[in-house]
Amino acid sequence: MTDHILEVRDLHVTFGHGAKRFEAVRGVSFDVRRGETFGIVGESGSGKTTIGRTVIRVNPATSGSIRYEGEEITGRISKELDRKIINKIQMIFQDPMASLNERAKISYIVSEGLQGRGIPKQEIEQRVTAALNEVGLLPEFASRFPHEFSGGQRQRIGIARALVMQPEFIIADEPISALDVSIRAQVLNLLSELQKKRGLTYLFISHDLSVMRFICDRIAVIHLGRIVELCETEELFRHPLHPYTRALLSAVPVPSPDYARTAKPLSYDPSIHDYSTDKPAWTEIVPGHFVLGNNKELDGYRKQMEK
Amino acid sequence: MNRTILSVRGLHVCFFLRGRTLHALRGIDLDVYEGESLAIVGESGSGKSVLNKNFIGLLDQNGRITEGSIRYYGMYDKMKHNPAGGTDEEGRPYCDLAKIARREDWLRIRGSEICMIPQDPMTSLNPLKTIGWQISEALMLHHGMKGQMAKDETLHILEEVRIDHPEKRYHQYPHELSGGMRQRIVIAIAIACQPKILICDEPTTALDVTIQAQVLELLKELKSKYNLTIIFITHDLGVVASIADRVAVMYAGDIVEIGMAEEIFYEPRHPYTWALLSSLPQLGQRGEELYAIKGTPPNLFTEIQGDAFAARNPHALKIDHLEQPPYFDVSPTHRARTWLLDERAPKVEPPPALKKLRTLGGAVHD
Repeated sequence: MTDHILEVRDLHVTFGHGAKRFEAVRGVSFDVRRGETFGIVGESGSGKTTIGRTVIRVNPATSGSIRYEGEEITGRISKELDRKIINKIQMIFQDPMASLNERAKISYIVSEGLQGRGIPKQEIEQRVTAALNEVGLLPEFASRFPHEFSGGQRQRIGIARALVMQPEFIIADEPISALDVSIRAQVLNLLSELQKKRGLTYLFISHDLSVMRFICDRIAVIHLGRIVELCETEELFRHPLHPYTRALLSAVPVPSPDYARTAKPLSYDPSIHDYSTDKPAWTEIVPGHFVLGNNKELDGYRKQMEK
Repeated sequence: MNRTILSVRGLHVCFFLRGRTLHALRGIDLDVYEGESLAIVGESGSGKSVLNKNFIGLLDQNGRITEGSIRYYGMYDKMKHNPAGGTDEEGRPYCDLAKIARREDWLRIRGSEICMIPQDPMTSLNPLKTIGWQISEALMLHHGMKGQMAKDETLHILEEVRIDHPEKRYHQYPHELSGGMRQRIVIAIAIACQPKILICDEPTTALDVTIQAQVLELLKELKSKYNLTIIFITHDLGVVASIADRVAVMYAGDIVEIGMAEEIFYEPRHPYTWALLSSLPQLGQRGEELYAIKGTPPNLFTEIQGDAFAARNPHALKIDHLEQPPYFDVSPTHRARTWLLDERAPKVEPPPALKKLRTLGGAVHD
């Protein structure tokens, strides 16, 4: 029996009312195993960030359930549970330039989550120092302001802010898209080092498939609020089934001129699906490989897998 | 090989900031050939955008060219009576962009000769004007078109950049279009000017991968159709591989290596190029550490002694800290600025992981 730290079932998230009603997430189900890196990949507007924000209770879920360690965390929950969730689930944001308070010192930014809970000042200081050390920053930096740091260092501060709460589960929303190529590698290494050391579980949200392939254990591909395919990373790259997944994979630029010049990206046209009578279902086609499709499509996918 | 269209020699650019001098470009030598696509790669702050801003005269107020020349060979008679004009050793007339001082002279170059596509299509279009107005404005200014003629041409250009229902789009505003569509509009405006050189400053970074692939396809198509020369600024090596004929690698205000795309990707010689390529996640193995360049780029406020990359270079030689290396020719089209290519230098092999680049392929095969 695999140990699921997070279970999401038939999650719907809608914004607005009446004519302006918009369904950002339309029935998403997935499990995140303890200690793994689970990736959600999709284009802008696909709802991947909304899922992350719903898990951390920033956006309310319209329907469906999210269970963290077996406990329901959507809707109204007790104060104790809320506090527990705040400690255990933390988030790292995309843009380190925009996500740090420009007017606060690093010591305050990192310790903010610990303030006002009766933790002695000394302990707070210790924990801030430890967190800064852990992300490879000097403790002296605590008395500086965000503008004194480079993009990579700021992202480290963002990570320290999450770590200081001693979380188990970290939602990383495009944590490296805003960084330079050489800095990306440093931050990716830091994330996987922390995972090994602390046994963290990551929910990694990104649009960059080459980074996902490097860091994720399993990947869910999301398109217009629906997960269309979910499986182990290498399986996804070897046997992509859903036409959208295939189009997405083919569009990833490959850093090799011989290949890249001749490559022709596939395009995805949602109208190829005829769902008028035969409704699509979320199906496990081989163990661990889920795909969204109707009976006819699923038969096609099965044949493809046999090849 | 094609004729040179732009020739940069010994270009130094400095910025003056509160009494301090930032040496942003430190002696750039670069030839751009007619009809090629040249990619300029480097980290942020390496000077790739500053270099290109010189070509359209949009350097920031506090920046100045302190030395060097930028010869543009694209205009043959327009600059005859201009102090910036001249003829070179082979008798080809040129215009020295580094010497142009007057705004009116720049107006004759910007847009109609050299044009730039900015990074973010969300901020580069006028939100108050229709798409049609913004494209025909370029036609009116640069080609003196009017009324129906300008409209017809605008619709034609919209078709050219693969916008569906041009008639309908003509009357729409930028906010009604998606990011990829907006970038196409920006490209349409650039094409309307019929420039000889198109500078693309990270034109696809703000876009989704599938849209990015389409925009790159479009640029390639337009390039061969109009015999455009494209200078592509980016830090995405995947994009470079798909579009570039030649690649220039910049570090700390200098071009450290330049060559054909195959030479840069498959036989790189400069340690910085090695490091840049090695940090690609495509070369990493899951569960193992990804190669990362140690340290930070040098401070350009202080003078750089020796090779700018020496401090971060695991293969640095003693001389790297003392003297700046000259360019060593690897092939007629490939040269690199590193002492490792000197015949007295010890033999250093590039990281073995780079061999994987040759065999990298796409994930989807049909």
